[in-house]
Order: sequence, then structure tokens, then C-alpha cells
Amino acid sequence: MSIAAFFIRRVVQALFVLFIVTLFVAFLIRLTGDPASILAEEAASVTEADLERIRESLGLNKPFLVQYYEFIRGLLTLDLGQSFFRGAVGDLIAIALPSTLVLALSSMLVSIAISIPLGIHAAVHKGGIADQIIRVVSLLGLSFPNFWLGIMLVLLFAITIPLFPASGFSGASSIVMPAVTIGIILTATNVRLVRTTMLETLSSQYVMVARAKGLSERVVIYKHALRNAAIGIVTFLGLQFGNLIGGLVIVELVFNWPGMGTLAVEAIGQRDYPVLQAAISLLAVMIVFVNLVVDLVYGLIDPRIRVE
Amino acid sequence: MQELTTPLTSTNTVTASKPASAILSLRNLSVGFGQNGKSVRAVEDLSFDLAMNKTLAIVGESGSGKSITSLALLGLVHHLGGSVLNGSALFNSRVLGREVDLNSLSEKELRKIRGDEISMIFQEPMTSLNPVYTIGTQISETLMLHRGVSAAEARRLTKDYLDLVRLPDALRLLDAYPHQLSGGMRQRAMIAMALSCQPKILIADEPTTALDVTIQAQILHIIRELQAELGTAVIFISHDMSVVSEMADDVLVMKSGRMVEQGSVEKVLLNPEQEYTQALLAAVPQIGSMKGQSKPKFFMVPGLSEGTTNPSSGPQADHNTKAPLLETKGLTKRFDIRKGLFSRITHRVHAAEQVSLQLYPGETLALVGESGSGKSTVGKTIQQLIEPTSGEVHFDGQSIFKLPKLARQRFRREIQYIFQDPYGSLNPRLTVGQSIMEPALTHGIATSKVEAENMVGALLEKVGLQPEHAQRYPHEFSGGQRQRICIARALICDPKVIIADESVSALDVSVQAQVLNLMMQLQQERALSYLFITHDMAVVERVAHRVAVMYLGQLVEIGSRQQVFENPQHDYTKRLLDAVPHMDPSRGPGRFKPPLEGEIPSPMRAVGNEPAINKLEQIAPGHFVSQSDFIPS
Repeated sequence: MSIAAFFIRRVVQALFVLFIVTLFVAFLIRLTGDPASILAEEAASVTEADLERIRESLGLNKPFLVQYYEFIRGLLTLDLGQSFFRGAVGDLIAIALPSTLVLALSSMLVSIAISIPLGIHAAVHKGGIADQIIRVVSLLGLSFPNFWLGIMLVLLFAITIPLFPASGFSGASSIVMPAVTIGIILTATNVRLVRTTMLETLSSQYVMVARAKGLSERVVIYKHALRNAAIGIVTFLGLQFGNLIGGLVIVELVFNWPGMGTLAVEAIGQRDYPVLQAAISLLAVMIVFVNLVVDLVYGLIDPRIRVE
Repeated sequence: MQELTTPLTSTNTVTASKPASAILSLRNLSVGFGQNGKSVRAVEDLSFDLAMNKTLAIVGESGSGKSITSLALLGLVHHLGGSVLNGSALFNSRVLGREVDLNSLSEKELRKIRGDEISMIFQEPMTSLNPVYTIGTQISETLMLHRGVSAAEARRLTKDYLDLVRLPDALRLLDAYPHQLSGGMRQRAMIAMALSCQPKILIADEPTTALDVTIQAQILHIIRELQAELGTAVIFISHDMSVVSEMADDVLVMKSGRMVEQGSVEKVLLNPEQEYTQALLAAVPQIGSMKGQSKPKFFMVPGLSEGTTNPSSGPQADHNTKAPLLETKGLTKRFDIRKGLFSRITHRVHAAEQVSLQLYPGETLALVGESGSGKSTVGKTIQQLIEPTSGEVHFDGQSIFKLPKLARQRFRREIQYIFQDPYGSLNPRLTVGQSIMEPALTHGIATSKVEAENMVGALLEKVGLQPEHAQRYPHEFSGGQRQRICIARALICDPKVIIADESVSALDVSVQAQVLNLMMQLQQERALSYLFITHDMAVVERVAHRVAVMYLGQLVEIGSRQQVFENPQHDYTKRLLDAVPHMDPSRGPGRFKPPLEGEIPSPMRAVGNEPAINKLEQIAPGHFVSQSDFIPS
């Protein structure tokens, strides 16, 4: 299969996934209750006619499929409609999405930058002191639940030693605490992954052949072994990004970070369908998009996929 | 730099200061593994001299330390967790400009020698090349490293070397990735890489073990020709005495890390002094040794076998008098290949096309062929592991695939399968006893656990093990013992037919001889029929009553063992037989004239492009030959 056909097929698959996800989101959140009754809760007496008026003004009385169609059309024209409570959905997303992306990408990049050299070092010097320390520490990092780790970091570095803001967004230093929380867990996983993948690659025959050519150990490791190991590592990082987006919800809440997770959770509490639909759909788009990129990168690294 | 542009010259391989005969002198090499190299000695006190322009073969069975020796010479053994404990390897280095001891050089100095003056070809061509770099990149890399040439110059030289190993279309192959090449082509590329700096010593570690026999013949021929052209000394590591006989000037036999015997190839192979060497040689099936004999013959394995069999006779087949026990009629199996955006079926692998053969009671029918010939597909279809696309399989007069699924179960009992890999075909979490009794309980042959246990005990004794072994787990047994266990498992259902799919290919030659003896003995006692699927013509000549040759999914020749071996008719059969190395050092070097060109074509064809079906014609009683032409691709 040519890389173009391969890629087109992946795009078609991705669009199908998005269709199913948005349909599910739109359908399921409407099972959770009637937003009109929540809106009307504060009023002293509400008649059925009042509720009907609210529904009509929010477009909730239209058939489900019409509502879904309008939502999809909105997504495609980037007109995401109005929040029930807080103005244009587009404006809310415009604030929340960059915050989340900055947090996710910065923690992931830092984690990659740390875990690849550490993982390679541990693999090359398997069984040595550094390897043992790296394995124990990474296991420790894996064992912390991220919300607990977040709270502990806040206690230590924001309250006991007030180095960084405890929560919210107030300048560049605000990102340190949530990013470190996520980064520790990502790095712990990634170091172990890089180590295992490199160990497997280093034991392959072509690595021994490269050594028998007289190449230096540096060239053997970074040219011959790492590129093969990268095939597995890149795939894993793609999946990890998906998990990360999901996992961010909790960390964002702990640090009151104004991102997509916080936005989505608030929208759930208020039954703010337009916001919730848009937030979850965008998260799905991001995850699908990242996996598409992974597929493409995969093809670039591994000629067995690129060339027929 | 001048000689680099013409790889064929060998001006730089002889320097004036070199000591007369030996290019490498190994003395008292010991290599250990484990904590400080103390727990296991892989090589113990090994010494040899490698003469200029000569080939020294190091022969031994698995675990003899032959591969470890070669890695130790390159200073690479520590990457496997071993360490050189003792010994020197004196070598006159051109790049370092002095006589050096390879075992005491620094890593930096060793790197200058590796790949330049001493290079190596490894066993597995499929995994020796880095999958993510082009062939050109991987070969140029060595040239740029050791010769300091520019990338463009290295690429030009690389093309010359690809031509030298007779790779067709070398220019295109420069930019090809390893997965686009067949095993034989990859091994040629490996040879080009190893020879690219015109080494003084080439170490070839089982370079043809993973290849088909016709491809093996090509590779061996190329190594020998280039050795003569470039004046390279070769250390040839092998377990295969026949290959060694074709390649070596001198032979060193190793066992458990120690040297058993060394000398010229004629002396070691024709007049071995040590009992171990004699036993090893007796266990090698030699092609042509069965001339004039109609029956299979047991192996003489003094000191290795239990000596239960009469070596002169073999099992007698029960032909012509009876109807065939098993028969395939027009058996065809095609596998669909889906490609492109909509997963359309664009190609089909024609694994088996119109295969019709008969298996008579008490006989061994060998089904031979190379990769992609479809021999395993036929076996698996008969065992109902895969459904045929069309055609029939008759057993005892009944058409198996026309019966309802439940009724077919009986044939799974009557026809048993023994796989190639004795390590993979036993469940590691079950005791040997549980594995053996499982089919008996499934098929309701044993009515109680106690009865099944008794059967297991008796069978273990039958295959040369002990009843107590039933309590143990597979990892406690060697490869040969495991294959005996697999045979016991096959026998518990009291089958009429056993399909042995490359069942002895993974075993060391002495163990292979014992297992083959056991199989022949069981055949004699129980009138078993074997469908013996293999690529090894020498083994076939020894054990088979009749032989069927397959090529690209079709039968090209079928007849009695004598007819096929002594009077082969089809060109492919002849080519196959020509490619088998002979263990006959008295024929002298260069006696081996294998076909030089040609890959084994793929049985994959575009949809609609159906292969022509071979018509078999009888040319003598029981001897059928396809009238198709054999066209090597």
C-alpha cells in the first residue's frame, strides 16, 4: 500500500471516529436531565409554560437530530453557538484550549527530553548503579496517583515553601506546579518504556553487525539502535497523549487551571450542552489528530510502512 | 586509494613483514559467562592457526562455543555478557602497523580492525541488516569509516561490490531497504558489506543455515570465489559437515567449548581420530550413499544411540498391494492478499495448486521443496489445520472435508502432526505427562486418568525416555528430548498417519539421527505412514520410500526414492539435487558447481493471473513427472 493510500485510509477512519464520538456525546448528555429545570430552579414558582419557553429559546424543543445537525454545522463553520450561561462558546474555548495545550505539550516535551537519555543510559548500562536507581525511582513515580501528587506538591512548594502559585493562572510561573505533576508521571512511564525498547533493540543482530563493522558505540546506539527503538516509542507517545488529555481533567481541577478539563467539568455540572459538546468534541479531535500524526511519523521512521 | 576503485585486485592483502604461514594465531583462548566469567566456560583453552588464503572450518553442535569464539576474536563477546579470561590472538595488523594481540587491544584500536581487516557475516540474513536504512547506506558506512572516502565515492564503490556478489540491478538496490530483498539477496548484501574493505580475515558464522538449499549453494560459491579473488582467509563456522566438506581446507571440531580434533579437511572427515568426530560423521546423512537401495536405512550412531535397531534394514512399505490410506485429489489452497484503500483482493498466494498424491500404509512419503513451495500447506490441510480452497482429502476411503465438522474429529486422531519447533509446540505450563495425555482424554481414548497415566508411562519408555519424566516440565528437556515427547504425544492416539513437518530440522545432527532412527523403528513396529515434509534432501534419501517434489505450489515429480534420486527427470529436481553439498573432501576444492543465478519466485500472483496447471505423466511405473518447463526467475 502506498503511503498516500495508507494516509487517506487513516483520515477516513478518523472522520468516522469523530462522527461516532460527537453523536454519542450529543446523545448521552441529553440523557442526564433537563437543563431548563436547572435554569428555572432559582425562580420561586415555575409553570410548565415557563419551562417550555426556556426550552424554545435554547433550541431544546427541536428534534435531537436537528440539534445534532446544527451542532455539527457549527463545528464545521467554527460557530460553536452560545453557552446557556456564559456567552459565546467559541470565546470560552479560545481561552481554555491554549491553556490545556500549553500544559499538555510542555509537560510532555520535558518528559521526553528527560526520559530518552535516561532510558538509553539505563539500557546501555543495564544492571549498573544508574540503571537500578532509574528503575526504582521510576517505579516510585508510577505509584503516585496524580491528584495526590498534585496536592502534595502544592502543600510543599506553594504553602510550606511559597515558591509557586498554588492554583489558577497568574503568569508564567503558574504552569510549573501542574506541569511538574503531570511530568513526573509521564517521565516515570517513558523512562521504563525507552529502557525496555532500547534493550530489545540493542540485543538484535543488526546492532551486533554494526559493532562488527567497527562503528563506535555512540554511532551504534544513536544511529542504528535508537531509530529502530523510536518506532515503538512514537506509537506509545501517541497513545499516551490521548490518556494525558483525559488525565488532565483531574490535574486541572486540583490546580484550578483554566483549561478544557475545568471547562468541561463545569459544563457538566450546569448541563451546559453547547459548551460540553464543543469541549468534548474538540478533545476528541485533538486525540484523533495526534494519532494521525503518529501514523505519519511512523511511516517516516519505518520504511517497511512507507515503501510498498 | 587506487586499489579501492577496483575491488577485484588483491594487492594490499599481502604485506612484506608478515610471518610466513599463519595470518592469525590463537593460543589458549578461554571465554566465560556469568559473574566475572566464572559460572560457565563457553570456550576452554582453544588454539589454532589460520593460514593465509585458506579456510578454517570450526564445526560443532549447539553449545560447542564456535560462535562465541568468533565474537571473541572481534572483541565483541562482552556485549553478550561474556568475557575473555585467557589467551592471545596474534594478528599482523596493517592499520595499526604492527603485530598485535587482539585480546589485549583497546576498544579504540579494535574498532579500527573490525570491519576493515577482520569482518564477519552472521547467520540470520533476515535480521543482520538494519531495517530502517538502505542497503547502500549500510555498506557505504563501512567504507566511509575505514577508507575515509566521500559519500559519493563510497556509493560508487558499494555498487561495485553489489555487482561483485552478483546482485542483479545493483544501482536500484543501493536505495532499497532490507525488507524488499529475499533472504539470499540479503546475505549477498551482507557479504558485499563484509568484503567492502577487503579484509584479511572473513568470519562466516553459519552464513547459509537459514537459506534454502539452492540459495545456499549460490552463497557458498560466491564466498569461495571471492576468497580466491581477494585472497582472504576465512573462518567458516558451521554445524553442517557437508557444507564444511565443500568449503574448508582445515577443520577444527569443537565440543562443549573444547577442541576435539583438528587437521586438514581430508584427514578429519575421512580418517577422524576421535570417537566424537566419528560419531558426528556417522550421524550425517550423505546424499548419494543410498544408491541401489530401495528401503530406508537406520543411522549407525555408535555411542550415541541406544542400539536397539538393526542398522542394516529399514522399515518396509506396504505398497501396491493395498489401496492408499490417505489421498489428496486436486488439493488447492489460495490465500487472499488485500491491498489498497478498500482492501480489495488484488493478489492471491497460490500455496497449493491441484496437488494429488497418495500415501500408502506403512510408507514414508517425503514432500520436498523450498520456501514457498507449498509443502507445509499440503500438510496442514490434511491435518485440517486449514480448509482447502478446493479439492478433496480422502482417508480410508472417506472424503474428510465432505463430512460434517463433528464427524471429522476422528481424522484428527488418526492423523497426527509433529511440528518443526520442539520448543514452541509444548505448553510450558503443563507437565510433559499432561501434554501427552491431553489428546487421549480429548478423544476419549483413555477412560480414566489412571489409564491415561499408564499410557503416558509406556509411551515415554517407547520413545527412549523414562516414565518418571511425565512429572517434569518442557524446559527441563533438551531439543531432541522434546521432539521425542512430541512423538509420544502424537502416538497416544494410536494414529495411522503422522505428518512430520520439518520435525528434525532444528536438531543437532547426532540428535537428528537418533530421532530419525526412532521414527523408523516406530514405523516398523506399528506400520505407521509418515508424510515427511522437509527441505533436506540428504535426510529424505535416508528415510523415504517415495518422494514428491513440489515447486511453486505444484507437484513437479513424484516417484520412488530410487527413481527420484537416481534418475531425476524434472529440471527442478535436478537443480535441487545438484545444490545439495556432498560430504566428500576427496573431490577436491571447486568440485561444487551449483547454479549461480536465480531466486525462488514468489507463489503470489495477481487476481485473474492463474498459474498453468502442470500435467504429470508417467514415465516409469510409479514415476510421474511434470512436463512443464522449469524457468528460474
